[in-house]
Amino acid sequence: MKYLLLLNNDAASIESWHELSEEEARNLREQEMPRWNQLFGWMSEQGIDVSGLELEEASKARVVRVRNGKSLVSDGPFAETKEVIGGCFLADCKNLDQAIELAERVPLVGKGSVEIRPLVTH
Amino acid sequence: MKVLALIYGDEASWEAASEEARNTVMTQYRAFGESADGRILEGAELAPTRAATTVRVRNGKTIVTDGPYAETKEQLGGFYVFEVESLDEGAELAAGIPGAAHGAVEVRAAHEEDSE
Repeated sequence: MKYLLLLNNDAASIESWHELSEEEARNLREQEMPRWNQLFGWMSEQGIDVSGLELEEASKARVVRVRNGKSLVSDGPFAETKEVIGGCFLADCKNLDQAIELAERVPLVGKGSVEIRPLVTH
Repeated sequence: MKVLALIYGDEASWEAASEEARNTVMTQYRAFGESADGRILEGAELAPTRAATTVRVRNGKTIVTDGPYAETKEQLGGFYVFEVESLDEGAELAAGIPGAAHGAVEVRAAHEEDSE
């Protein structure tokens, strides 16, 4: 069963991230790396086929609408929310329980959330 | 670069649509796929938000709730991953997604070094 996992960051944490110096940000990233590596190790142990994207910040997003044949493009994410999508995984899991177990291991789940969406297969 | 396109729409009207209307939309999506000229790496329709599960961990405890993170007027119903030169090109391509004509498509650039 394929799932899209949306990795939602706490927006306030992202804000404070911007106030860090380059070095502080790099250090924080390095501190988090072992947990991400553990997650990737666990997924390969479990035989979960996964691909992922880490996204540029939501403020750089564009929203596209087409109305009466005209394309309207606005800046910023679709919804202003307390948590923002920071990345995603497309994972082939055995079942929802395994997807939940994966979600629990995502480092940012302690401050943000992971939304699990099953894919429709045509 | 890779660009993620998140397709938002009114899922209630999609679910209420006749089979004929749905088939028309599916045909439009196939035509979009062909017109994208190899720039689509990935794409899928998502099951309705009532099939969503949201996971949080607080104080070492896992909290699992049904439903999406945010209740919005339009819901995330599908996505594409594009391989394009810029976010502008991604936005231009996204304007051709059938869902952009009644809902909205959010395009997000991915970090190069971390994408697989």
